[in-house]
This record gives sequence, structure tokens and C-alpha cells, in this order.
Amino acid sequence: MSFDIAKQSIDYILSNPELFNEPSVEFDFIGGEPLMEVKLIDRICDYLKSQMYKRNHKWFNSYRFCFATNGLLYSSKDVQEFINKNHTHLSIEITIDGTKAKHDLNRIYKDGRGSYEDVVKNIPLWLEQFPDCGTKVTISHADLPYVCESVMHLFSLGIKVVNINVVFEDVWVDGDDKIFETQLLNLADKIIDNNLYENCVCSFFVENIGKPMDQILDNGNWCGSGKMLSIDAAGNFYPCTRFAQYSLREKKCVIIGNCVDGIDSNKLRPFLTLDRTTQSPQKCIDCEVASGCAWCQGENYDAADTDTIYQRSTAICKMHKARVRANNYYWNKLFRKLELEGRREEYNATHKKQTEKPC
Amino acid sequence: MKKVIGKVTEQERNEIQTLFERRNGLAELAKILTADNAELYERLIMDMGETGSKFQNWWDTMSQNYQWESAEGGHWEINFDTCEIVLVTPE
Amino acid sequence: MLKYLIIPLANDAVSFCHYERGNASDRLIDIDMLKKAIFWAMTENVNVQFVYPDKEMPSEYKPVIDTIDHAKIVSSHCEDKVLTDEADIVVFDGWNDLDAFKCQSGKSYVVRTDKSGLFDNADVFKSLFPKLDRLVVVITDIDKFQESDFQKYEALLNAMIPIIKEEYGKGHSLHFNLLTDRMFLDKMNNCNAGDETITLAPDGKFYICPAFYLDGSKAVGDMETGLDIKNRQLYRLDHAPICRKCDAWQCRRCVWLNRKTTLEVNTPSHEQCVVAHIERNASRRLLEEIRTLGEFLPENEIKEIDYLDPFEIIKQ
Repeated sequence: MSFDIAKQSIDYILSNPELFNEPSVEFDFIGGEPLMEVKLIDRICDYLKSQMYKRNHKWFNSYRFCFATNGLLYSSKDVQEFINKNHTHLSIEITIDGTKAKHDLNRIYKDGRGSYEDVVKNIPLWLEQFPDCGTKVTISHADLPYVCESVMHLFSLGIKVVNINVVFEDVWVDGDDKIFETQLLNLADKIIDNNLYENCVCSFFVENIGKPMDQILDNGNWCGSGKMLSIDAAGNFYPCTRFAQYSLREKKCVIIGNCVDGIDSNKLRPFLTLDRTTQSPQKCIDCEVASGCAWCQGENYDAADTDTIYQRSTAICKMHKARVRANNYYWNKLFRKLELEGRREEYNATHKKQTEKPC
Repeated sequence: MKKVIGKVTEQERNEIQTLFERRNGLAELAKILTADNAELYERLIMDMGETGSKFQNWWDTMSQNYQWESAEGGHWEINFDTCEIVLVTPE
Repeated sequence: MLKYLIIPLANDAVSFCHYERGNASDRLIDIDMLKKAIFWAMTENVNVQFVYPDKEMPSEYKPVIDTIDHAKIVSSHCEDKVLTDEADIVVFDGWNDLDAFKCQSGKSYVVRTDKSGLFDNADVFKSLFPKLDRLVVVITDIDKFQESDFQKYEALLNAMIPIIKEEYGKGHSLHFNLLTDRMFLDKMNNCNAGDETITLAPDGKFYICPAFYLDGSKAVGDMETGLDIKNRQLYRLDHAPICRKCDAWQCRRCVWLNRKTTLEVNTPSHEQCVVAHIERNASRRLLEEIRTLGEFLPENEIKEIDYLDPFEIIKQ
């Protein structure tokens, strides 16, 4: 992206507060690897800050710059200068897949060397600068046997929050749900038996998932696409980056405007009126363990029989059910342990109830 | 050591959170604005002074209203999630 | 449930709706395909509407067409004047020929016009209303309406109210889609392409409507394999989040315009919604006016509302 495209986009967004009326904003820089362009990002952030202030924009009082990075450049001079300059407004997630063996399966340099050692040496500095930040892990078919050891490894590195989910794409084969469930049951035992639940959080275990959902009261859309704005290097606007051509397998990209002409609000209407039941097949509407079962609008679109965002993909159905069973086990085991130790009330008072966070 | 010594209302929490965010925003903006941009620079300097005063006033007023416990060498913090006020003292 | 089969007999069959007539060639539907389509319609028990090109159909087609009860949609420019006389619906492209055309009672006339043609020809209505029983105006560029057009449109419909009232006062129950349809309805009455209506195009394949055929959309089946409409539920009212909350029941709810403007067949554009609500509100005023002449449709009430786009209520 050129600075001019970024500038035009910022000018459009800040000049139209009625279109972007949320009280707060996150500017999320997505790569490839965003920190490879930290100088450009720094210039963009400077422009954003000065423009928000100059225009007396409400977001000046509530903004964040967010990054998901592979962590390789984290300790570099340029990145550290950027962090020092913007520290109180940064949210940085370093993605690390788990153990060295697991991480180096996929995250390799051009010459085939694994990147684990270079990332992990930056973790202490990252945790010192951002102790509350978590990491994001995405599980695909090949990762299933490593789920438990990977999460435990991340906890052992001092990372307290592991946000983790299975991919929405249809990569799953028969028996994957069983492997997944076994992995989660082992993980549940390890977290509880080692008292890690006191300080650590793995987002697979959430108290309120796995319940039937009301067709009227629980009819909101899960995915946030359309309520965010994604901008590509050419200045095209998308309802989410998953709708850009580089993210899609089968379908044509969904462009909802650009930094010169602005947003075509008609193209946003389907996103903003989308609800759970209209896009779901009957089996999802009737599902007894529906709550917490997520979907990605971009994947729904990509996998749909027609060019629509209104056909929910159910590729993760069995994986969600496996997660629900392990999740039930986790909370039953944890609460029983706390009751036997007379600490249930103390736990409730000191731990914020974890809720599933929609996209 | 941390000890919960009080709680404020959500509205009071919102007031201090906005001031906190603004103060941080102004401090980080100050790192990139120079006196060359005279108009904006002057506004920023004035704003930093005003926001700092409002920030301090909030703590003075609230501690007075709620009569929060204090300690030698300690300071108060607020948990934005729970609205709780915590007294932090050296170990 | 499928109720209607539309068969454009040629690529350049007249357009009776928002889309532009095809002009790539004058390809006729193959006569054997036509026979199969008629057989299919009989077995599926659907009503057939033939849409004619301007050029006279070859004589061998006429007996085939007559093997099934059907409606004829014909252009005012059709070479076959006997056919035009027999037509159930006569379509005018613009306003030029209307004055001279000899309208018949009991027949429907469709006028396709863009917004500027509509605003410039408001006076033509006055002379037309006494002469015909049903007038359908199709605005071909609804998607290009701007705020100022909405105001002009409202003013135009308001100006029609006393004229139509006068016709009703004379005992002439004129039907004019933009103003009277909503008065008579008690539920949605839309185009329903893809749900109740399907099109068999001259290439022998099924399409959601003629517009989908002409813009190169994918077919939804053919005579050999039958209908195969993927995500068919999206053409139904209960799967249209904005429309199912709406009471502009006369709205055409054009799924082709929906897809063109919002990329989804079940989601109307802001412009389509506002135009439909301006009509709805003007119908409400017309209903009140006609009632000053005596009892009229006592069961049908049109509520006063404070929005023109139901999207606003959903957002709230």
C-alpha cells in the first residue's frame, strides 16, 4: 500500500463520522507480515493520530493499533522505536504454533529452516512490554494431534491467554472429531490438575457454550463482517479481508467501495441485515448444542452453492460438537474440584466469566 | 500488594477512562508534533495541561467522596473492567 | 410453489420489466424445445406466459403455442397487429406511441420509462386514465434515484391522486400499479421470480427471470434435467430480512435489481425500498380520498409510518 492510498482512506473515514459511528476504533494492520512495513505503518499511524486530533474526532479518545505478527522482527530497532512511540495504544499478538516441532512444520524461512528459535527469543521482551496480550492459534487437520502439547507449551513460555480455534474450511476427515476431543480432554486435565486455570486462559473452554439457541432472542449474526472495513493496497474497500480476491478460492471478490468514491452502502445492506436463522440450515436451527458454534462469512460465501453470504457452511459441525463435550467435561471437573476445596465462591468472585467472543 | 478498597459507578469509570485514554493520546501525539506546526502544537500543550488537571481532579473528588483508604508510599489504581479501586502498596 | 412459466420466444422478445431487451440476435426458441416446454408446463401444472419479439413469429409456431392456455405479452411495436389485438399485456417503451394507441378495455398496458421520462410526462397520465383499465408503469432506472428524485416522485404521485379519485367517482375502477395496487392488497404481492415464477429462455435452459438470462447468469436447470435452483429459499419472502418486515406490499421486490445493487437476491437497495414506500404512502392518501366519496375497501387499512426504508428499523 502506498502512503497516498492510506491517506485517502483515512481522510474518507475521518470525514464521514456518520458512517463510522462506533465510539472506539481499532486499526488492524494485516500482512503477510505487517512488521516488514513498520516504517510505512509508523507514518500512517502518525497521520492518523494528528488527523484525529486536528479534526477533534471522538476516536482520538479511544483507539488502538493492532497487529498479529510472526514475531521475527519484534526486537528490531525500527519495531522497538515504533512500540515506544505508541505503546499505550498498541495491541500486538505474536503467533506461535506451539512446540518447536509443531511450529517448524509450517513456519519456515525460504531456505527451509524453522523459525521457532528466532521467534521464541523475542517472547520475553514481548511479554515484558505487553503482559496481557495473548496469542492466536488456528488448528487445521494436520495440527490436531498437537493441540494439547501446543497449548501447554505456550503456557510454559509465560503466555497467559491462548486464543485458539479450528479453521472454518472443509478440511476435516472422519475421525478428526474424536482426535480433537481426546486432545481437549487431555488439555482440560492438564490445566485443572496443574492449577493453570488460576492464571491462564485457553479460549476453547468457555462456560456458556453448547446450549440450544432461541430463534428470536439469539438470532444475531456471529461474524462481524460488514461492521468493519478492510482496505487493500489499491484502496478498495471490503466488508472483511476474507472477501478480498487473495483470500477467496472459488468466488469473485466482494468490493463495497474504494477510498476515492467511498462506500456503496447498498452493498453493505446484506451484511447488516444478516441473522443467524436466515443463513442457517434447519439442522443448525434445531441443534441442541448450537451456542458457541461459529462461522466465517467469507468462508460461507466461498463455500456456498451460489454467490451469497446467506448459506452457512457447516464444515465444523462435528468439531464443534467434540469441543462442546470436552468443554462440558472441563467445567464439570473444575467446578467439582473447586467445590471439594471450598473455593468455588472465591473462584466465581475473582474470575471474570469467559464468554465466547464473536468475530 | 494490591487491595480492593472501593468501587465507582460505571459513569464515573467512563469519565476517568476517557481522560486516561486522552492523556495517553496527547502524550503520544506530543512525540510527533513539533513547534513547526504552531497552531496544533499550542493547542496540544494547552490540552495536555487541561486533561492532566481534569484527571487529577477526578481522583481528588472521588477519593473525597468515597473516603478511600490510603497508605504511605502507595497509590490508587482503577480496574476498568470491574470499576474497582485498588490500593497498591510496595511489597 | 411454482405457478408461472415465462417463455421469451426469442432473444429480442419485448422487455416488460426493469431489464433491457436483448439485441444480440433474433434467435428464436427451437420449436421442439417449445413443444417440450409446453409439455413440461402442463405436467407441472403451471401457467404459461409467452413473451413475443417484434418480428412476426413463423407460422409453424402458432399452432404449437395454441396447444396450451396462455397469456401473451407483446410490444406496441409488434409487426403482427392481430397478435397485438389479442395480447393480454401490451408493452410500450417510453411515452411516444401512447397517445395514438387505441387502448382496449379490460387489457393491461405496461409503460417502461426512465425517471426523467416519467417526470416529463406527468400530463400524459391525465389523458390515459379515462381510456384504460389497467396501467403498469415500470421505472427502468430505480437504482439511479437520488434524493431530489424521491421528492419529485412523491410530488408526481400526489398529483395523480385527484385524477384517480375522479375516475373512481365516475365508477371507473382504474388499476394503476403505482397507486392503486397497495390499496387492494392484504399481503405481499411481488414478482416472486425464482419462487413462484421461472423462465425458460430461447437457449432451452431455465433462468430465474428473463433478466438473468440476458445478463449471462448461470442457468438453473434445463428441460432434460429439470429445475435446479440452488439456495431457492433465498427467493422466498421469509428469507428476505428487510422485505419480510415490510408492508409496501405492492413492491415488485425485483430479485434481479436486488442482486445488481446489493449482490444478494434477497436484499433490496435503498432506492427500491424508498420508491416502494413513496408509492405506499401515496396509496394511503389515495385510499383516504376515495373514502370521502363513500364506503371503499373498509377492511383495508394502510398505517401511517415514519420511515421510507425498513432497513432503518432493522438497524435499530
